[in-house]
Amino acid sequence: MMKREIPLLITFLTGLLMVVQFFVPHRPIGQIGTGVLSWYTIIAGFTLLLGIDSLVGMHLKKLQRKQSGWGYSIMLILGLLLALGLGIFSEIKYGSALAFGSPFMYLYTYMMVPLQATMFSLLAFFIASAAYRAFRARTLEASLLLVAAMIVMLGRVPLGAAIWGKFPILAEWIMTVPNAAATRGILIGVALGGLAMSLRILLGIERTYLS
Amino acid sequence: MNWTLIGIWIGALLTLCIYSFLYKDNPFYKFAEHVYVGISAGYLLAQDYWVQLRPNLFLPLWNDYAQGQVHFGFIPAHWYLFIPGILGLLVFTIFIPKVSWMFRYTLAFTVGVFSGLAITAELSARVLPQIGGTLRPLLELQNGHISPWGTFCNLFLVVGVLATLIYFFFSKEHKGFIGAGAKLGVWYLMVAFGAAFGYTVMARISLLIGRMQFLLGDWLHLMR
Amino acid sequence: MTGDGETRKRRVDQGLRRVLLVFAWLALLASTSSAALAPPENIKAFDTPNDAGGSNTITWKASPDDSLLLGYSVKRSAKPEGPFEEAGVVLKGQEEYRDGELKDGQKYFYRVDARIIGDSASSAVAGPAVPSAQWFNLGRVNILAFIMLFAGVVLWYIARAKKGAKLFIRRIAGLDAVEEAVGRSTEMGRPLMFIPGLLSIDDVTTLAALTILGRVARKAAEYDTPVLVPCTDPLVMTTAQEIVKQSYSEAGRPDAYREGNISYLTYDQFGYAAGCDGMMLREKPGAVFLQGYFYAESLILAETGHSIGAIQIAGTTAVDQLPFFVTACDYTLIGEEMYAASSYLTREPIMLGTLKGEDLIKLLIVLALTVGVVLETFGKHWIQALFQ
Repeated sequence: MMKREIPLLITFLTGLLMVVQFFVPHRPIGQIGTGVLSWYTIIAGFTLLLGIDSLVGMHLKKLQRKQSGWGYSIMLILGLLLALGLGIFSEIKYGSALAFGSPFMYLYTYMMVPLQATMFSLLAFFIASAAYRAFRARTLEASLLLVAAMIVMLGRVPLGAAIWGKFPILAEWIMTVPNAAATRGILIGVALGGLAMSLRILLGIERTYLS
Repeated sequence: MNWTLIGIWIGALLTLCIYSFLYKDNPFYKFAEHVYVGISAGYLLAQDYWVQLRPNLFLPLWNDYAQGQVHFGFIPAHWYLFIPGILGLLVFTIFIPKVSWMFRYTLAFTVGVFSGLAITAELSARVLPQIGGTLRPLLELQNGHISPWGTFCNLFLVVGVLATLIYFFFSKEHKGFIGAGAKLGVWYLMVAFGAAFGYTVMARISLLIGRMQFLLGDWLHLMR
Repeated sequence: MTGDGETRKRRVDQGLRRVLLVFAWLALLASTSSAALAPPENIKAFDTPNDAGGSNTITWKASPDDSLLLGYSVKRSAKPEGPFEEAGVVLKGQEEYRDGELKDGQKYFYRVDARIIGDSASSAVAGPAVPSAQWFNLGRVNILAFIMLFAGVVLWYIARAKKGAKLFIRRIAGLDAVEEAVGRSTEMGRPLMFIPGLLSIDDVTTLAALTILGRVARKAAEYDTPVLVPCTDPLVMTTAQEIVKQSYSEAGRPDAYREGNISYLTYDQFGYAAGCDGMMLREKPGAVFLQGYFYAESLILAETGHSIGAIQIAGTTAVDQLPFFVTACDYTLIGEEMYAASSYLTREPIMLGTLKGEDLIKLLIVLALTVGVVLETFGKHWIQALFQ
């Protein structure tokens, strides 16, 4: 009962409460949604410690057993300790880890940001390689994908307008009519699917997460 | 010491290490990858404490006790914050096999809350607006006259939405009328995917341009 | 009259004319000022509907001189005769104001002043308006009706399924390929990789992904193929560990379960992508499952998976990322197909019943759209009103 039935009951009651608070503006019911969402921020804060434990544990084990790539595990742990250390130091010296000019923000500006931006920019290469592979008109469906992509790509650059003045207009039409139609259909389907899944979870039919 | 210059060099070298991935997996990429995972985990952990736990849990409770805002001598004004605090601590029972099942309470609370929210959110933010937006007149009027182009666009849109919905029917075989509708739906989907693909190409290229400007401009001073 | 006298007389006449002109101009100005400004009309004040109380709404018809105005000043008082204090100011062209932070149950009276520099014109006093909280938001009745209809249909089909009714589900290519993907990895002697997306356990898409993970892990356990699950969220990691452990137990291979294969990387979007890419390049999985909610990193993951020759089965409800999965992966579950996966893979009657219920609702939406657009053509907005 404690291990199965009570969690299912908690799921049902909390879910029902969130549905009810959507329709009842009267205090305190109408304010429950905002309050509970802030509670999740606190819970998520604790769960992150669990993740760090898993990450560090895995790499320490690699280090202990001198498994392949253990040197990189040292880099990872040192990086983690560096970020934490600078955060604590910045809090003590600057009053806040996120203070402008603090060592913690220096780490963010000159390490995190370049790494994030570079990984993001890899998409330029990958989108080209994906396009090279995908844009082979073997079937009617692939041809439609290819033609639509080409028109929209050309319609959004000056070169396209220089080649044919109607490219931008055609590109705009494709985005606002067939693209919008298909997107609407997908979104309605996704919403209904999400609704059904949520209902199954509240009613205890879907219980995979409680394995 | 010119910390900015040192920072730019660190950023540039890490950038090049990540780009080496395009050739193949190599020690430089592995180094950058592990450093990235490590410092991002540490950064988020620090941020997690300063931005999430401290202002939302620890500070309100601490201030209640420090300022004497307590009921019956020991219950703080923000007593309800103990509930998410306890639910958060229950997560650590996963390390004690005998009581690890208590972790399910936190999971059940989280899943229940967001499943309940999803029910109303999906309807109010997706289903109803999308259906409402599709309800257009089949004949589009412009200055009191029927606009052939507007009418064609409306019809094309409505037919597209219907065909896509038919494609997502699961309980009928895609044959006959349903099959024809589903086929049309697939065509609409392919056009939409192609359009979305083409739409994002320039945005992705601009990301690369940004990094090139950093390397060639800020680092090597080869361009202004 | 002498010449000097005539000049003096001319000067006096000119002076008098100038004085008269100034007076005439002032009189004209005064008459124009006092007659110009018209106050706003038809002012109404009432309790703001469908709210938690503490608020009144004031509406009015714009002054005929609206284009000349600076704006409107909304004034509030506890008595109809005043004194009035300013509750708020809105720009010209506006015809509504919501007055908040009021006391429930107390009477408030309002007037609206049309303002220009140095002048204003007051409307009649409206009220009393008494703020109060409502127990039900009438503006959301249609949503409640939809939920009741949906739940009713789903429960009806579940009841039918429990009684043994046969429920058909069409082929979904991506889900049929799961067995092929697991088999291929086993033949190649490589592990499987399952990437459950970027969101946490609070997202329904992640829960759907974890359901698929359970089925994939079960198959993998039967073939004794390791399953690698790098996670971006610790709750997802912990849940995934339990799910995979359970799957291995059900397959009769609890000894083959390795907790270390399901690990946390980082919450950072591109840090996670970098870590997953590294894992793919080193472990070289035979099959990669990209199931869940993804953002821009989707193409990075899909292209890296392709580069190592893995069979890729993707599934996401992120509409923006579907084009990249469709172009880069072998199979893609588009949106709702992901949610259908648990019903499809288990074939449990109750699960199929919910899918059937979804389809009936979809059919009703198709009918509503068809009838609705015809009605819209004739200027009838009845169906449109249901979806406001």
